Amino acid sequence: MSSLPPTSGESEAVGTSDPVRSSGSADSARSASAVDAKLPKRRRSGSPGQFRDIWNRYRRNKLALVGTFIVGLLVFLAIFEPILTPFDPFEQNLLNTTAPPDSRHFFGTDVLGRDMFSAIIYGAKLAVIVGVVTVLMSLLVGVVFGAIAGFRGKFWDTLIMRLTDIFLAFPLIIGAILVVRTFGAGITPVIIALVVFGWATTARLMRGQTLALRESEYVEAARSIGASDGRIILRHIMPNAIAPVLVYAFTNIGVVVVAMASLSFLGVGVPANVPEWGRMLSQAYGFIKVPGQSHLWAFPALAICITTLGFAFVADGLRDALDPKLRGGN
Amino acid sequence: MADMTKTIASEDVLESGFASREAPLLEVRDLRVHFETQAGTVKAVDGVNWHVHEGETLAIVGESGSGKSVSAMTILGLVPSPPATFPSGKVLLRGRSLLEMPESQQRKLRGNDIAMIFQDPLTALNPVFKVGDQIAEMVLSHQSISKAGARKKAVDLLGEVGIPNPRARALQYPHEFSGGMRQRAMIAMALANDPQVLLADEPTTALDVTVQAQIMQLLVDLQESRGTAIVLITHDLGLVASHADRIAVMYAGRIVETGTTDEIFSTPRHAYTYGLLSSLARMDHARPDKLEPIPGQPPSLSRVPSGCAFHPRCAFATDACMEDIPALLPIVEHSGHMHACIHPDDVAAAHAAPKPAAVTAEVKVDLGKPPVVEVSKLVKHFPIKAGLLFRREVGSVQAVNGIDIEIEPGTTLSLVGESGCGKSTAARSILRLQEPTSGTVRLGGKEITSLNAQSLRKARENMQIVFQDPYASLNPRMTIRQILTEKFQLLGGTVTDTTISDLLDTVGLSAEYADRYPHEFSGGQRQRVGIARAIALNPKFVVLDEPVSALDVSIQAQILNLLENLQVEFGLTYLFIAHDLSVVRHISDRVAVMYLGGIVELADRDDLFERPQHPYTQALISAVPIPDPAVERARERIMLVGDVPNPANPPSGCRFRTRCWKHLELSEADKQRCIDVEPKLEFTPTSPRHTVACHFSGERQVLRGEPVEA
Amino acid sequence: MGKFILRRVGQAVIVVLAAILLVYVATYALGDPFASTGDRQVPPEIAAQNRAIFGLDQPLPIQYINYIGNLVTGDLGLDFDQRRPVIDMLGAVVPNTARLALVAILIDVAIGVIAGIIAAVKRYSFADVLVTVVSTVAIGVPTFVIGLGLLAFLSGVGPFPVVPRSFTDQVPWYQEVLLPAFALAIIDAAFVARLMRGSMLEVLRADYIRTARAKGVSERRVIGVHALRNSIIPVVTYVGVSLGTLLGGAIITEAIFQYDGVGYLLFRAIGSNNAPVISAVIVFGVIAYTVLSLIVDILYAFLDPRIRLN
Repeated sequence: MSSLPPTSGESEAVGTSDPVRSSGSADSARSASAVDAKLPKRRRSGSPGQFRDIWNRYRRNKLALVGTFIVGLLVFLAIFEPILTPFDPFEQNLLNTTAPPDSRHFFGTDVLGRDMFSAIIYGAKLAVIVGVVTVLMSLLVGVVFGAIAGFRGKFWDTLIMRLTDIFLAFPLIIGAILVVRTFGAGITPVIIALVVFGWATTARLMRGQTLALRESEYVEAARSIGASDGRIILRHIMPNAIAPVLVYAFTNIGVVVVAMASLSFLGVGVPANVPEWGRMLSQAYGFIKVPGQSHLWAFPALAICITTLGFAFVADGLRDALDPKLRGGN
Repeated sequence: MADMTKTIASEDVLESGFASREAPLLEVRDLRVHFETQAGTVKAVDGVNWHVHEGETLAIVGESGSGKSVSAMTILGLVPSPPATFPSGKVLLRGRSLLEMPESQQRKLRGNDIAMIFQDPLTALNPVFKVGDQIAEMVLSHQSISKAGARKKAVDLLGEVGIPNPRARALQYPHEFSGGMRQRAMIAMALANDPQVLLADEPTTALDVTVQAQIMQLLVDLQESRGTAIVLITHDLGLVASHADRIAVMYAGRIVETGTTDEIFSTPRHAYTYGLLSSLARMDHARPDKLEPIPGQPPSLSRVPSGCAFHPRCAFATDACMEDIPALLPIVEHSGHMHACIHPDDVAAAHAAPKPAAVTAEVKVDLGKPPVVEVSKLVKHFPIKAGLLFRREVGSVQAVNGIDIEIEPGTTLSLVGESGCGKSTAARSILRLQEPTSGTVRLGGKEITSLNAQSLRKARENMQIVFQDPYASLNPRMTIRQILTEKFQLLGGTVTDTTISDLLDTVGLSAEYADRYPHEFSGGQRQRVGIARAIALNPKFVVLDEPVSALDVSIQAQILNLLENLQVEFGLTYLFIAHDLSVVRHISDRVAVMYLGGIVELADRDDLFERPQHPYTQALISAVPIPDPAVERARERIMLVGDVPNPANPPSGCRFRTRCWKHLELSEADKQRCIDVEPKLEFTPTSPRHTVACHFSGERQVLRGEPVEA
Repeated sequence: MGKFILRRVGQAVIVVLAAILLVYVATYALGDPFASTGDRQVPPEIAAQNRAIFGLDQPLPIQYINYIGNLVTGDLGLDFDQRRPVIDMLGAVVPNTARLALVAILIDVAIGVIAGIIAAVKRYSFADVLVTVVSTVAIGVPTFVIGLGLLAFLSGVGPFPVVPRSFTDQVPWYQEVLLPAFALAIIDAAFVARLMRGSMLEVLRADYIRTARAKGVSERRVIGVHALRNSIIPVVTYVGVSLGTLLGGAIITEAIFQYDGVGYLLFRAIGSNNAPVISAVIVFGVIAYTVLSLIVDILYAFLDPRIRLN
């Protein structure tokens, strides 16, 4: 085990007979210290040291902490939406439209006279629900198909990969428009549309991981002690393959939130009366250049930005913490 | 205070030491290279002095992490700073101090006066540029010459380093070259500007042994014709014995002993040098009782032990060793043989003491008992598919092409050969980790090849494998306890409170390690876990797939001894897959030599090494350097030409004929026989247990200089 | 090489045919373009009449084959509103979208590649931190928020024309394309910068970079030739695919700026429920994307000699 720091990898590490393996920099430093039996005693039970390392690396990333706070806030808003909204977000008041923010309507009222503050919070709930449900479903479908394609290979691999080719040939929004137009406007069609055109990337990622791990020696080792295919996939491949897939999924929540807003902005997403951020923006479109009406579009725009940034920061932090070598990569 | 006197003392020594000889060509003085990391300061090189003269070869020897490469890299300015710092040190090329020059001047020296070749020629060449252009770039960087002129020079250089058809080859990309060819191209590049010093960092470690012999011979020839000084950085003591003039042994960032090659090998004075030498398996020695491994592992360079860094692993260490760092002092005044050991006399005594008699351990065959493993006509072909839309099979890689093996109970059969000969594929096909194309395998009389998936899983209880790469063969997300327990869950057997700790104890690991994860262990420790997994539930048969080739020399001996002990204790039958003939000589009872998918020679171990019959076996043995300069000087090497042919398109008749040295000496009629008729394994006249597949087999002594008395 | 290209083209054709089938089924079989919607009531007999006119009364496989056949001859049918040939409608806007896509790509490559190289070469420097943080933030901000922001603050200012476009003043195309191109380029540039930085950092660790330095090659050549040539490969891939997506219509951005391109055509068609136009634009998007992916793959083989043989 080379005990040199990773930055000097060019120098000594490759010049030895000792293959320097995938263990990260911190790992190599620690394993090198495992010399001669005597390591400081570590607590035996509880979470393995890996998670603490990941947390320690994650904690150092300030943007990731900001992201964690934002995501936490969004989840809080989503759960307590009925309590937190001072007005019914659906309730229109045509006598009091486009009112600027005041002490009663913190964010003012929109073109239909709805309370913007309540509408934004309701929008947060929608964003979290659609984001999380869509990504979980894409994850489920993508991981299963990806694992089958990668592990089974041959016919299944060809079939599933050609299928992903077809779905990936549609830009997400364009594909989603197709599906939503077919099934009608609403939350469920939006989720279906985003899953239908979202699973393929997850599947490819999972397939790549599975393919690499399938040939790994520890999978061969598992087979050599009589492990079945199912056990190999669940116990040996999945835990090692899943990290980048999860990171991708987290990044994807932001993408899904934006996609939903985009669809609504184009008029094909949720029904017109639902206070959704994209809808609010499209309703505010005509007022963009109107002085004194910037609250109509600024609040929903900010809400979308903060949400996507929050998830992006968390995903970035996770990626760097899970694998320091991926830092700054794509 | 003590430190200061020591420094002064050693400088005095240096001055006086060099005064007696001509000025060295390249000299490194008190070089320190440190890296600032979160784990602390890593002292990769910590006060190192060495020098090399014109036409001389200096070998810097050490295990991984000893800092042997870093000092060479520093000379070329290849160590990035930060994170590296250089607290002290001078590099003098013909008296000119390199490190103090401005960067632009240093750059003019790089590649021009000092050139370097690296371990892995595939990654060291830029994949997107043509080989010829990369060599031409080296010329263009330092000579005023036209582009066309540089290209022509590149072609000439490729020809000079023995690349056939250099004009066409220059237009190819690195991936179109074989490993040996790439290293030749690297050498051609390094020599493009006729440098005074060539730094060779593990130049042959990534290559097969017959190719290694070619490359080293090339370096020797070029050195003779050009007078280049070579600094050979390596872990391989055999290579050093045959090619170095002087040696510097490094440990934990410092030189612990230096002297001429003969001095280091015949009168080592530092305990580490002695330890390295006695932990080596030697191909020319029949099996000694046990190798003497160095216990423990090389230290982390961020936590180097106090005093002599070697003391925690040293058999001779006393309390004094822990106090001050011993200075590198000459053995007698003005001698070039210097060491940094407080107990040179103890080392000398141990070295002089008779070794446990090198009993030619009688082969423990039990002819009465039937073999545990019977492999018959085993074939493994990998289909090659091509086609526009629908992939059809258009050919196959004939990885294993019909091999027959029997292994007697409690013995070790080694399957040796160069990379790509199919030995690992054969092992995996025997275990049905890959499905064999055809052929049968019997284990304890039971046919394995016909079992269905479920019975096969059950049968795995008796056939296990230890993998080559201890870093890749343990699931990183499972603790050692989980890894070992899994086997009991899958193959039956109860796990009691003591099962896992007993198992760990058997392989020499402390039970308290059970709940740690693989990344917390060193390579050697991981390999012990892999062995524990294999021997749990007492299998009859264990495949050892290059189990020590990823480990440092001093750790290899530990693992080999463990494997031998376990074999005796549990009556295990081993199939040992290896490319390192020294280790094979040590551990095997019988040896099968593979070439391009087939076994070309199969014999009892001593019979094979002392009386090899097949020209390939002979070339293979002759190519392996022996860590003893006296023996090396007397030996001759059989040089094979070219590379191993593509197993998808093997030569007709005898597959070895395209590289065979004997084939060249045959008459036309005999040559035709090699081309037309594939030789079968046949018994040799000398022994009823020795078979060889060659039409013109015959004994040739290749192990030592002169033939041994029969 | 020829075989590789043929094989890839074959795959692309299959993908496009399958995608068109999806589009066709979704538009004409599962969804009924003549059904009544909230704001448009269609009497059943008129709907049936319309189906006959547009050939939708035939069995689905026949319809599909007809559609493909027509597509090959450049016939995309008539639009529902004014019975104009869809191909002409598309032909009128494609050049605008192509201009927008190319300008956007030029901007993002110029910014992204340079920022990425600087960040990688001067790792941990202020410039690196700046590039990393700015790109992380820029990637997180959705296109249409950037678009709306630019619209709110910059349209009508200086060289940027007023949106919605005035029909009285003719605005030269290069002025009109500016704002939407910036809106598209900002996020893409952030992606490119990150990709370039990551790729460059990885390449700079490679052994052959060490070899180049050991040869005494100047640092500028090490970065600009040895490292760049290798690290640009993933960037080329990304940019090519990105261009494909933009050609298919940056629907949001074009809608926001009312830019008369493919995306805006789609936006308007969605508003008027004009099924032949919607499916035609989607099909065009799929084809543009697939063709660009194909070109990228072939380009890749030229950039990286290692994959030429397979």
